[in-house]
Amino acid sequence: MESLDALENQSIYIFREAYRKFKDLAMLWSIGKDSTTMLWLARKAFFGRVPFPLVHIDTSYKHPVMIAYRDRMAKEWGVELVVGRNSQAIREGMDPTKGRFVCCNALKTQGLQQILDEHRYKGIFLGIRRDEEGSRAKERVFSPRDKNFEWNYKDQPPEMWDQFNTSFGPETHVRIHPLLSWTELDIWKYIHREKIPVCPLYFASEGKRFRSLGCVPCNFPLDSSAGTVEEIIRELQVTKTPERAGRAQDHEAAYMMQKLRSLGYM
Amino acid sequence: MNITDTLRIVIVGHVDHGKSTLIGRLFYDTGSLPEERYREIEATCRAQGRAFEFAYLMDALEEEREHNITIDTAQTFFKTSLRPYIIIDAPGHKEFLKNMITGAAAADAAILLVDGAEGVREQTRRHAYMLSLLGLRQVVVAVNKLDLVGFRRDRFEGVEEEIRGFLLSVGLVPAHVVPISAREGDNIATPSERTAWYSGPTLLDALDSFFPARDISGLPLRFPVQDIYVGDGKRVYAGRVESGCLRAGSRAVFSPSGKKAVVRSVEKWKQPALPEAHAGECVGVTFTEELFVERGEVLSEAGEASPAAREISASLFWLGNEPLRLSARYVLKLATAEVEAVLSAITERIDSSTLEVTERHANRVENLEVANVTFTLQHSIAADTFKENPRMGRFVVEVGEFVAGGGIVREVRSDRLGRGTRVVRLHSRMMTEPDGNFVDLSQEAGPVEFEVSREFVARLGEGEKVAIRLCTADQLEKIARLAFGYGLGMTYRRGPDGNRVVLFRESPVVQAATEDGFPVI
Repeated sequence: MESLDALENQSIYIFREAYRKFKDLAMLWSIGKDSTTMLWLARKAFFGRVPFPLVHIDTSYKHPVMIAYRDRMAKEWGVELVVGRNSQAIREGMDPTKGRFVCCNALKTQGLQQILDEHRYKGIFLGIRRDEEGSRAKERVFSPRDKNFEWNYKDQPPEMWDQFNTSFGPETHVRIHPLLSWTELDIWKYIHREKIPVCPLYFASEGKRFRSLGCVPCNFPLDSSAGTVEEIIRELQVTKTPERAGRAQDHEAAYMMQKLRSLGYM
Repeated sequence: MNITDTLRIVIVGHVDHGKSTLIGRLFYDTGSLPEERYREIEATCRAQGRAFEFAYLMDALEEEREHNITIDTAQTFFKTSLRPYIIIDAPGHKEFLKNMITGAAAADAAILLVDGAEGVREQTRRHAYMLSLLGLRQVVVAVNKLDLVGFRRDRFEGVEEEIRGFLLSVGLVPAHVVPISAREGDNIATPSERTAWYSGPTLLDALDSFFPARDISGLPLRFPVQDIYVGDGKRVYAGRVESGCLRAGSRAVFSPSGKKAVVRSVEKWKQPALPEAHAGECVGVTFTEELFVERGEVLSEAGEASPAAREISASLFWLGNEPLRLSARYVLKLATAEVEAVLSAITERIDSSTLEVTERHANRVENLEVANVTFTLQHSIAADTFKENPRMGRFVVEVGEFVAGGGIVREVRSDRLGRGTRVVRLHSRMMTEPDGNFVDLSQEAGPVEFEVSREFVARLGEGEKVAIRLCTADQLEKIARLAFGYGLGMTYRRGPDGNRVVLFRESPVVQAATEDGFPVI
């Protein structure tokens, strides 16, 4: 079986397993290439109908192009969209000048926590990949988080042969990662093959493009002339620049991503 | 098979036998290490005042880097001229065996690394045994650090003989045993002049000779039902073809129920109906007639169905913090089936490092031990022996919230009722109506067995009751056994319109149960 087909089938299997095992599910849609690909795979898994809501954690610092794209696609694909915001922190003026760790934790992690508490979601799909960053490489497909949202990365349950851990106590929620085995290049090859519409910020304009989307103050475009999906694929096959080079929160301090993630960051 | 498909290899072996260095070397020799990653690791090492450390490629957690250990499995990628690879790193410490197993279970092939100076050690043997129990059959042994012993042929051959002997005793035959120095690059990508006495392939050539997965398309069809979606006026059975080929129009049979059906369509979203689907494909299936089968049943071609297992003999490894105990109840998961199982025999308890049988007819199996055991299942499920069909011959054991063990099926025994017996899961049939819970079995003719979920029992524990309308009086005995097994109370009444049973939780504080409040059925 060709690699992209193997990845697609694996993701569909994970989706169907989660849907069967959890009643209260939601999918995090960051509007980026990965979670949009994940959404496409969910449509495949359930024959066109996505049977759970999509949650977007809006920090209020997102690129306006992302929001426009989000609303257009949600309408076109007929998905239920839930927008979560840590309104209190936004009102009180939280921004990266307070520190990137503090800001990410307040606007993203706590924003997510609030929406999970409010809707009592027991399982959430996230489009993280092992090749993105070291602590993500350590993840399980079904990853339990305790009531304080913490990830016990030092003692994760075993997982083998697609037999996932699915029965958890009421205080636990589980992060489900259908894209864990995909790479950035796989994602773009799949976007090309399936003709998935992605956010326009990924395509070069004036010699720069975004390789990973985040909040305006902490997300920088990289030098690139790739204006089409084919050109992006060609660029990735030769580039020496890591994917998240334009994401400030990854570089602020050693193990910052691990620390953010152990507290519940995506 | 497409040779360009990714191969997933796990690297296992004793602590400090050189796994990280080998991974670094594979990256270096294949030109797969991104410059930026190299610089990032270099900077981290410099900040810590150490020499460049290849281990940091995989050991990304702070605790791992601070203490120079691998805690959890991780994956990364490299390429040869033949194809892309995924490297799965597996911790060598005994305490992290569950993480080693998580990594190894996802692999197509394994490199078992042995220190040529130190020889075979405890985790070398334990890991080899785990590979065998995980069903991995493509193994290459790399005898490392030969630079430390002057590339002496006799040292290599001594280690080779020892490891070959051990592997044979766990049913593994290595494709090759390669003398290497990961640090200096001997026999990794290019043949080494320092081992002129060795005529076999380099490590990378040995890897290139492996296949992405055992070819299972030639085996009989196995399509476990994963879920059923109802909509647009049809029932679609969703699942993944585990082996063989699922063809539209074919006559098929479900196991363990024995129900027969003709496949009407094989479907994927946004694609025209498929003539067939092969191993590894997730599809939806519809049938020419309406039928009701549940998750866990397995579709096969008529005449070659999986046996309906009521008892399973298996080799199992145990990772639970609490011991696995004789006569205790567990949840066993095999493909999409889940069944309560009683551990009815521990024939042999085995030290997973020495292979020594430490006890026969034991009462318990401790953490990290291996055992040959028998499970008696609450009801039948479809299962094959691992030898006949690896996908349908492996299982895990769940304790509480988590998987705590796993293994491979050695033998399957059906019960006297055979494969015609239908399992009815009362919880999935229960309707909650304004005046109570109700299950209608009046259409369930033929041999049946009943099963309930933990949630079902919990609901009764909270004071709810359920009324069950039976088809025949024969079903009463089965319900009574179930009630006895779960400590439930039961009342029975035969009325003009049939037999009716009410189940409830017996408890001294609750008043004697009456049937008041239930609908007359």
